[in-house]
Amino acid sequence: MLLWLARWAENTEFFTYIRASAYTYPVILSLHMVAIALFGAMILLTDVRLLGWAMRSCSVSDVVDQLRVPKRIGFLFAATCGVLLLGSKAEDYYYNIFFRIKVTLFMLVIVHALVFRKSVYSRAAALDRDPQIPGRAKLAAVLSLILWVSIFSAGRGIGFILAPGGLHYGVP
Amino acid sequence: MLQLANPLNASPLIFPMIECFHIAGFVMAIGTCALIDFRLLNLAMAHQTSAQITKDTGPWTLAGLILVICSGLLIYSTDPDMYYLNLPFLLKMGFLVLAIVFHYTVLRKVALSSEPPGKSKLAACVSLALWVAVVFGGIFIGFTSPNLSF
Repeated sequence: MLLWLARWAENTEFFTYIRASAYTYPVILSLHMVAIALFGAMILLTDVRLLGWAMRSCSVSDVVDQLRVPKRIGFLFAATCGVLLLGSKAEDYYYNIFFRIKVTLFMLVIVHALVFRKSVYSRAAALDRDPQIPGRAKLAAVLSLILWVSIFSAGRGIGFILAPGGLHYGVP
Repeated sequence: MLQLANPLNASPLIFPMIECFHIAGFVMAIGTCALIDFRLLNLAMAHQTSAQITKDTGPWTLAGLILVICSGLLIYSTDPDMYYLNLPFLLKMGFLVLAIVFHYTVLRKVALSSEPPGKSKLAACVSLALWVAVVFGGIFIGFTSPNLSF
């Protein structure tokens, strides 16, 4: 079923165009990376603030609440580009082990949100009043950092399998 | 002639692993720079001043730059001839130098002081454009055939 969907998607006119055009694919990939830089830094700053490692002159709620919207915009931007990349080579992605790892990690991100959103991210103002940042918030931050580092590493792995004989490895 | 093999080329797994550090570094460096730019454009962190954000994110920007440049040098060492002849790579290096110099001179001065908004917004846009150009250059390195001449 998923494989059928993947084959159908990559053979639509739209995704065939992305795959076939010399410049469209790398342009989307570049935009994907730009979005990751923005989104990744928002995640990083939110988490290091929860850990008390940086942004100490701002309150926890200032960082968590003010970065929420740009973080979501960055994620949507990255995800949109990601879907375009996926669709253009959907069948390869279906079989790609790093893509499967990445999808699993995204499911863990959802679990992370279900577990920690209510107790950490949505009550940043209450964290300001705590004399110390609670262990639960620090745990959420560490897990979030591990998850996102794993996700972009898996993403890098996808390209490694898609083009093992790519230009970086010598002229074909 | 003495031929020394680069140990980084010993396994095909090493290259993508260094690239993961490269990604971590550019997320830290470019992302934090972009946050200052967005603050100057009044698009984020309105409760803080741009000076406060610049000071708070400064160590992370610097750490990111060190990580991204060190991993970048290792990546370059795996196939220097290819990079040297690669137009996107050369453009990327040009934009990178411009972006770093601009960040630590013009943008820093603007962000740490209270310049007129017109000027600081222009500086933020220039900074964002330079960093985006660096990322595009990096991606296009891998999509440019060494035989292709522009």
